Parts: sequence; structure tokens; C-alpha cells
Amino acid sequence: MDKILRKNEFWLFCILLLMAFIVGGSNDAFWSRTNLFSLFKSSVVMGIFALGVLLVIVSGGIDISFPAFAVFSFYITVKYLLYIKFTGPVVIPFAMSMAIGTLLGLMNAFLISTFKLIPLIVTLGTGSAVTGFLRAFVGTGTLSNLPQPLIDFSRWNIYTETLSDGSVIGFSGSFLILIALSLAVAFVLRRTTLGRGVYAMGGDLTAAVRAGLPVPKLYYFTYGLVGALAGTAGIVHCSLIRLANPRDLEGAEMEVIAAVVLGGASLTGGKGTVSGTILGVFLIVLIKGSLILVGIPTDWQKVAIGVVLITATALTAYRSSKGGR
Amino acid sequence: MKLKRRFIFLATVLSMFVLLMSVTGAAAAEKKYKIATVVKVDGIAWFDRMRVGVDEYAKETGHDLWMVGPAKTDAAEQVQIIEDLIAQGVDALCIVPFSVEAVEPVLKKARDAGIVVISHEASTQENVDLIIEAFDNHAYGANIMKDLGKNMGGKGGYICTVGSLTSKSQNEWIDGAVAYQKENFPDMYEVTSRIETYDDATIDYQKIKEALVAYKDLKGICGGPMPTSAGAGLAIEERNLQGKVFFTGTGLPSIAGQYLKSGAIQTIQFWDPAIAGKVMNKIAIAFLDGKKEEIKDGANLGFPGFESIKQDTEKKNLFYGAGWVVVTKDNVDEYNF
Repeated sequence: MDKILRKNEFWLFCILLLMAFIVGGSNDAFWSRTNLFSLFKSSVVMGIFALGVLLVIVSGGIDISFPAFAVFSFYITVKYLLYIKFTGPVVIPFAMSMAIGTLLGLMNAFLISTFKLIPLIVTLGTGSAVTGFLRAFVGTGTLSNLPQPLIDFSRWNIYTETLSDGSVIGFSGSFLILIALSLAVAFVLRRTTLGRGVYAMGGDLTAAVRAGLPVPKLYYFTYGLVGALAGTAGIVHCSLIRLANPRDLEGAEMEVIAAVVLGGASLTGGKGTVSGTILGVFLIVLIKGSLILVGIPTDWQKVAIGVVLITATALTAYRSSKGGR
Repeated sequence: MKLKRRFIFLATVLSMFVLLMSVTGAAAAEKKYKIATVVKVDGIAWFDRMRVGVDEYAKETGHDLWMVGPAKTDAAEQVQIIEDLIAQGVDALCIVPFSVEAVEPVLKKARDAGIVVISHEASTQENVDLIIEAFDNHAYGANIMKDLGKNMGGKGGYICTVGSLTSKSQNEWIDGAVAYQKENFPDMYEVTSRIETYDDATIDYQKIKEALVAYKDLKGICGGPMPTSAGAGLAIEERNLQGKVFFTGTGLPSIAGQYLKSGAIQTIQFWDPAIAGKVMNKIAIAFLDGKKEEIKDGANLGFPGFESIKQDTEKKNLFYGAGWVVVTKDNVDEYNF
């Protein structure tokens, strides 16, 4: 089992390199630090979301409410912090958004585990309800005057360089958050009883129950963590784009799920790794962020994304089925 | 016998009461029109601002004017709202359609029921009494390019963004901008075909960053959709490209204000939805008063940008204002939306 997974990631990595060389070959500006730094920054929000989706897919479920939760978390956080004219450390908005996301995630877990409902339906409902609640009771306007700590966070670079033309490029510090969270989720999934329980539950729920695994607890753990990650991704997104727009991230779920599946996670559950997921995210970010560089006309960009996605998924699936034999 | 007399008495009283009611009712209807303004979607800054205009105009005129719209951009929901308003019996409808084609049948129904229909942002609408546009789309685009070309010193490459390649008015703006550039700034050129950004500031930001990498000669950004102003501002500010790369395009002070103030972008342009709301209602009232011949080429509607409206040369019920507002860092604080 482990062998196949490793193989899957290896092939994914090859596809990623191949794509990079194709793009870099047609326009060597691709290899410029300006572009590479920018691609890393673009993958942060999607990457954090994908970690959550990986968890839930491994557990045999699915979650499509996370973009709505992310928006709910960051919007309320920003609105409240603006109201109290917050100027403290940036950890506070992050913690707030994460906490709101966690609570929403626990609500999903409660509905799924108590009433034995299908996760797809539950998360479709909660996502829609949360969005509606936000717009009806909290606000619909875009907030563009974010609290200063969040603006400072968006400007935080771990490396900056002034180019010969006087322009500045920087490697966004937000990428460190993605690295830290990836390591944390990988550790939880691999090394803890809870994480192994999530795999077992996704592999065969009935067997997991019979083996005496605390299935309700696992639901709370999984969906709570997905919520926490969504809340974090939300506040990072809002800080990086310097706007709190309650209409952002609509429809983000499909792209993130595609990245996770591309990364080798099985929609039937019990299978998937953090490294594969991150590679899947990189691949999608690379494709989406290189269409202008390659010079594909706007009309054809969607076609190009679709073709590359299908080809990449087919290749990894074919590889892993061969490896399984 | 007694019962019958009592019945006659009751009937007389009742009929007198009904008569009285209908007389006062008719009198009230004569001086008060019921006009609904139906917008694409309720709850976004743009239409919140239009509501301000409609409400103000209701107070000024004393008519019963209000604004409604679906909770999310959905053609079917907008049609449903219009159906309900027809059933309620409004005197006129002012509409900003989400999809011009989708509302044609229901607008026909409204007009058949004797309701006056005025539309906005819908130059191709058929079932309508009059269409009032804030401006001619090509002229609006040309005005964007006028500022951009000036800032760029008339030289260098530029890109244009649109929300979607199928968005009619935004593409007409860009057509107008490009035509103006060809005529007045021969040393400028479009580096690539117009970029689609789905009205999402994040996509604007990423696409502009990518274009800056791909085209070293890129000096200008001509923004169609509103979020480009924020995306371009962030991309320019972050890379310290102020004074090297310029942006002019559609934007709202509430979204692009921080970048206007920091100098990352120079001018934004928009039209005031509050005024558009007032103008539509004013025209509807003129139609209901039987003064529709007053709405003609060159007429002064008494609102900024609508002092001399222009009739379309082909479509006789289509009129344009010149209702754009140009905002720089000097006057950005005058607008709160």
C-alpha cells in the first residue's frame, strides 16, 4: 500500500517537473524568482484548504462547506476587530478566525455523527446556511481598511530583493504557515492514534466500529480540524488580498477537491497523503498561473486547464493501478 | 319584513362605504405612483448605493418608490420578483436586468398589463418603454484610455481586463479604450488579448502579477471590472512599481481608495448608481404623467452627467448620459461607497 502511494507521488512530481519545463521552455521568465515567489504565494491559501479536504476525504467523507466557513470566519473576525480598533499582535485575528472555523466544523460533525447524515448533504446545507446568515445578519459590504496587523502580515516577506529596474520582489512569509500546517497534519495522520483512526474509518467504517474505534470522536476530530484549517485559510486569504469580501472564495471547493484527488487521495476514503496533496496543489497553481506566460489566448485557458487536469489525473491513476497489480 | 329592511339598510351603508373608499383610493393613486426598481442582486455595495438614490428620490417626490433584487445573482429569481410585482399592480418598473434575454418575456407581460418599463445597463432590451444608460460604453472606455495614455506618456505596452469575455458592456468599454489608443496614442500597444478575471480581486491580482512577469514592456493596466482596481493596486504596490506601471479603470472608492492614497494607482472611474436610480425613476414618472415626449435628444434631466442626454442613432428609445465620475486621490474622500 505504502509503495503504491509513494509511486503515485513520484509520478506526480514528474508531471510537475515536466509542466515546469514545458512552461519554462516556452518562456524563460517562468524561472525568474519574481514568478516562482509569486507561485509559492499563490499556493498558500489553496494548500491550507487542501490539507483540510485531505483529512475529510481520508475519513471517507467530503466537505463542501469549507469556503463558506472560511469567509464566515474571516469576515466576522475582521468586522469585529475593526469595530474595537484592534492593533495587537497578528496572532489574535488568526486565533479568532481559527476558533470560529472550528466551531462551525464541530457543527458539521454533530449533524453527521448524531443523525447519521451523508456528509455531502450536511456540508451543502451548512455551507449555504452559514453564507446566508452572514449576508443577512453580519453584512455584505467589502471591507478594505483591514486592521494594521493583517496588512503588515500581507507585507511580511522572509526574503526581499531589489531588482535592477528598482522593483522589489519578496518571498511571502505566509508560505511558512503552509509548511508548518502541512507538517502538523502529516504528523497527526501518520503518528497519532487519532490519525490512524481516520484512515481506518475511511477504509471501512463498519470494520472500524467493530474494532472498537471511537467513531463519533473521530468525526468531531476530523470536521473540527477541517473547520480550523478553513478559518486559517480564510484569514490568510483576506490578509493577502487586503480585502474582506463576503463574496470571495465562492466555488473554491471544486478546485481544492480536484487538487486533493490529483494528489492521490481516493474519494472512497482511507487513502491519501499530505505530500501528494501539496504536489496536487502546486500542479494546479502552476497550470493556472502560467497560461499568460505560455501565451495561451484567454478563450482557450479553460480548455487548457481541463485538458491538463484530466491528463494528469489519468496518468497518476494509471500508474497507481499498475503498481497495485 | 324587518329582516329585509335591515338588510337594505346594511347594503346601502356598505355600498356608500365602498363608494367612498374607491373615490379616496382613486384620488390617492392620482398623486402617488407605485414604482419598483428591480436590480441584479441585492446586498452588494453598488446596489446599496442605488437604494440610497431611490429612497432619496422617493422623499423628494412623495411617490411610493422602492428597490428590490434577488439575494444572489440569478436570472430566474429576478424574473420571479418581476412576476410578483406585476401581480401586486405597480405603475412602473425600473429594471437593471441580470440577463437581458431572460427578462424579455416577463417585461412583455408587464407592458401588456399597462406597466411602464424603464431599463438600465441593457442597451439591447426589446420589451421596454425606454432604456437609459449612464453613458455610451465606447465613450466611457475612451475616457479611461485618455487618463491611462496621459499617465504612461503615450508610450509602452498595456493590458486590458474584463470580468468575462461574454460581458457585453465591459467588452464595449475596452473596445472604446483600444480604439481611442489607436487614434491618439500610436506608440502604445496591447501586449496580449484581454484578460478574463471573473470579477474576483484575487484573480485580478494573480493575473496582473503574471502579466508583469511575462511582458517586460508592460507599463499600463486598463481595468474593465471593478475588482481590477484592487488587484492592480496590490500588485503594483507590493513590487514597488509606483510610477513605472500605471492603472486606470473602473473602481469604487471603498475598494480602491487605499491604493489611490498610496499612489499605486492614479485614477478610477465609475458612475454613481444612486443617480442612475434617480434618473430611471424620474423618467418613469414622466411617462406616467404623460410627458414622455419631454425625454428626447438633448433633454436636461437635472442630474450630474444627465444634463444633456443623447439619443441613440438607430434605437430610438435608447438614451445615454455622460454620467461617469473620475476619482483621484484628491477627491476620493468625497465618496463613501
